[in-house]
Amino acid sequence: MVRVLGWFAVVAVVAGLAMGFGVAPREATQGNVQRIMYLHVPAVWVAYLAFIVGFVASIAYLARRRNGADHLAHAACEVGTLFLGVNIATGAIWGKPTWGTWWTWDARLTSVAVVFVMFLAYLLLRQAVEDPERSARYAAVLGIVAALNIPLVHFSVYWWRTLHQPPSLLKPGSSSMPGSILTALLVNFAALALLGAYFVARRTRVLADEAEAIA
Amino acid sequence: MPDHWGFVAAAYGLALVVFGGYWRWLGQKERELAALKRSDPPSRTSPLRSEPASRPTRP
Repeated sequence: MVRVLGWFAVVAVVAGLAMGFGVAPREATQGNVQRIMYLHVPAVWVAYLAFIVGFVASIAYLARRRNGADHLAHAACEVGTLFLGVNIATGAIWGKPTWGTWWTWDARLTSVAVVFVMFLAYLLLRQAVEDPERSARYAAVLGIVAALNIPLVHFSVYWWRTLHQPPSLLKPGSSSMPGSILTALLVNFAALALLGAYFVARRTRVLADEAEAIA
Repeated sequence: MPDHWGFVAAAYGLALVVFGGYWRWLGQKERELAALKRSDPPSRTSPLRSEPASRPTRP
């Protein structure tokens, strides 16, 4: 089942690349560098989804103390951190030619960096505490607190004046994007979501096997 | 505005390295766990291991 999901993800990623580079037109203002958007934006959406899964699984773990929920929370937060790292790095690469700088401490970039550091701390905490039960409990609390910052990241572009543009899609009302660009973006989101789901499923299984091997 | 294809290649190349690296790392973990399962010594479940009382005691 997990293997099939992996193959679906590979096919979807190839389709996403074809859409982003073959079907979507060259953007009039930014030129072809705008094609980074088909990676940068879906990566943060998948990271948000993974952190929400981690948030729910962490609450489930604290409520019922089932190891399966802890493994799912661990896997989702790890994969979310991976995707968020890709989002931040590709944003910096996109920012240099368009804004003239790799990084600026504006509200969106700073808030996303704070969330990224919190989830890095989550992963370090997992390594640092040796007792599995205490590690799971502390990590669940930190995972919940860190995920609560996601709305702050999303709405930062409305609440403060930032260099980063406001959302083009995750906002009230209809999208301002042309159809072909929107389609390419959504196909790439589906592709990265499948890849993220595959990683979470596989990592959850590895964590369960590791726990079994230790026990 | 110029196209900056180098930046596009850097972004997608970086993603390939990160996601490909994670994929490989997961595979490596699975192989290690499979090897551990295979090499799990039969003595672990063998009755010989956990019977210190049956060993001859020295005077």
